[in-house]
Amino acid sequence: MGKRLVCQVADIPENGLKECEAEGGLKLVVANAGGEFYGFQAVCPHQDVPLCEGLFDGSTLTCHMHLWQWDIRTGEPRGIAEAPLQRYPLSREGDALYLGTEGTALDVGELFNGLDASTLQKLAALARRETHEAGAMLYRPGDPAEDFFVLDAGRVEFLVGRGDRTAPGGFMLKKGEVFGWAALLDGYPNRIASARCLERSSLLRINGKSALGVLEKDPGAGFVVMRRLAALIARYLATSGVK
Amino acid sequence: MRIQVNARNRGYDFEALPGEKVLYAGLRAGIDLPYECATGTCGTCKATVVSGRVCDGWSAAPGKKFVKPAANEFLMCQCAAEEALTLEVSKFVYPMEAGACVPQKCTGTICNTRALTHDVMGFALQFDEPRDFDAGQFVLLAPEGVSGYRGYSMCNFARGGRSLDFIVKRKPDGGFSQWLFGGKRDGARVETFGPLGKATFDPALGKHLLLIAGGSGIAGMMSILARAHGVQYFARHRGWLFFGVRTMRDAFFLDELNRHANQVQVTVALSEEAPPAKAPWPQLRFESGLVHEVAKRVMAGKYQDVRAYVAGPPPAVDAAIRVLLLEARLTTDNIRYDKYS
Repeated sequence: MGKRLVCQVADIPENGLKECEAEGGLKLVVANAGGEFYGFQAVCPHQDVPLCEGLFDGSTLTCHMHLWQWDIRTGEPRGIAEAPLQRYPLSREGDALYLGTEGTALDVGELFNGLDASTLQKLAALARRETHEAGAMLYRPGDPAEDFFVLDAGRVEFLVGRGDRTAPGGFMLKKGEVFGWAALLDGYPNRIASARCLERSSLLRINGKSALGVLEKDPGAGFVVMRRLAALIARYLATSGVK
Repeated sequence: MRIQVNARNRGYDFEALPGEKVLYAGLRAGIDLPYECATGTCGTCKATVVSGRVCDGWSAAPGKKFVKPAANEFLMCQCAAEEALTLEVSKFVYPMEAGACVPQKCTGTICNTRALTHDVMGFALQFDEPRDFDAGQFVLLAPEGVSGYRGYSMCNFARGGRSLDFIVKRKPDGGFSQWLFGGKRDGARVETFGPLGKATFDPALGKHLLLIAGGSGIAGMMSILARAHGVQYFARHRGWLFFGVRTMRDAFFLDELNRHANQVQVTVALSEEAPPAKAPWPQLRFESGLVHEVAKRVMAGKYQDVRAYVAGPPPAVDAAIRVLLLEARLTTDNIRYDKYS
């Protein structure tokens, strides 16, 4: 598909929001933050509430229903929000806004987004794209944990335990979600769960040691990634964080 | 009936009684399944059937507008498992914290029914066993033998207490309120499920309290005041309460609020009449205007280190939240709210 028109610049009020439908049918909410324009998924990832009904102060977007918030420049969750917004980069040509090039799963992902472009490029160079059919097993308990995965599209579920003694261990469904992160940890050489595609899924597979090698050369990025990884692991292990 | 919940982070297994709603069975088992109203309105407890069948107890529930039946979605608060059930909740779900008041089903006896205004009634429910709850929580109520729970916030606070205090506003289509207003109810048995709700106050919070209530939303605020008063919270922290009603005829709890007002600044906002020239509550302030407007006026510049609680009808709550986010610039974790719909 060629260049897709989203809307006219004049359609979006200063420090305001509007829901727009891009050519080809994609609905998105467009924000005007002091003359900069940002496009995101049109509905809240929490409960399908239209984000154009939300509150926007020029820098933070708040869904009015349950007060989930995001940074308008990145779509990163703020406050009590549990999920980022899918961002659709916009390009401005004259008085019109067009859909730009979408970020890769690595760019938008929870671990690596916002890193220095050269570091991201080196990580991207390590990534192998794989597509698996529904039902495909990615790994089983005991398998070597050498690679981690970044979900691009599809859905992957986890099972802990073996044989007929298993319990569900959650699932991944958002572009950029990372799993198999034991490959980034010392002292966890083997898988402790199985991962299976529930539908046809597209993944980036990255060798853990090689990725750590890249991050060692850019310790600032490495620190950010490790902080995010720690938060990610805590999120899976924690009991309720609500107080 | 075995129920398995697959959440984003892990799975849970629990048992449900025949006919028991999936949400209540899970909460009873100490699993903090997502919910807000727990009575079919808000859609927060949406889930997807993976295998098994559910029986929908209220197919016309307003919250149904959030679910797509074609995609096997359903509301956990309205549906019971008809056979072993596996379902998916597309959120992170955690076990309840140690020390949480785990909800349970209990039957209580109504006493002390009394008219507070022309359309608001107070009453208490007595239980055989202690019923612990956190300040700001609610329980679901249904007259024994009548189906369809309604949520009501407790007005009191007492650890280990066997009595819960409530207020109920008369509503033309309110199942429980119609029943309550429909005859002498002292001694009647009422089924309850709870406690529920996360708009709770714990003194460990250590922040100043801003309480904004529209109409019967005052209930949870009375519980928070009682909790705070019990530990001399206001010796160290400031407090403001704004109570919005239409006219003086609709106001209640003014004697009680007058007693709290030596520690907390209490303002009664009258949306449809001027403040009374002379009122027998020397500690209370009366102002004219919508409650969120009055709060905005009085609170300007005082939002440092404040936690806000808001309760009442949805338009009043939404308007107050707008002020708290955009004017007061409170962070969302410092805004707790309860919409009575």
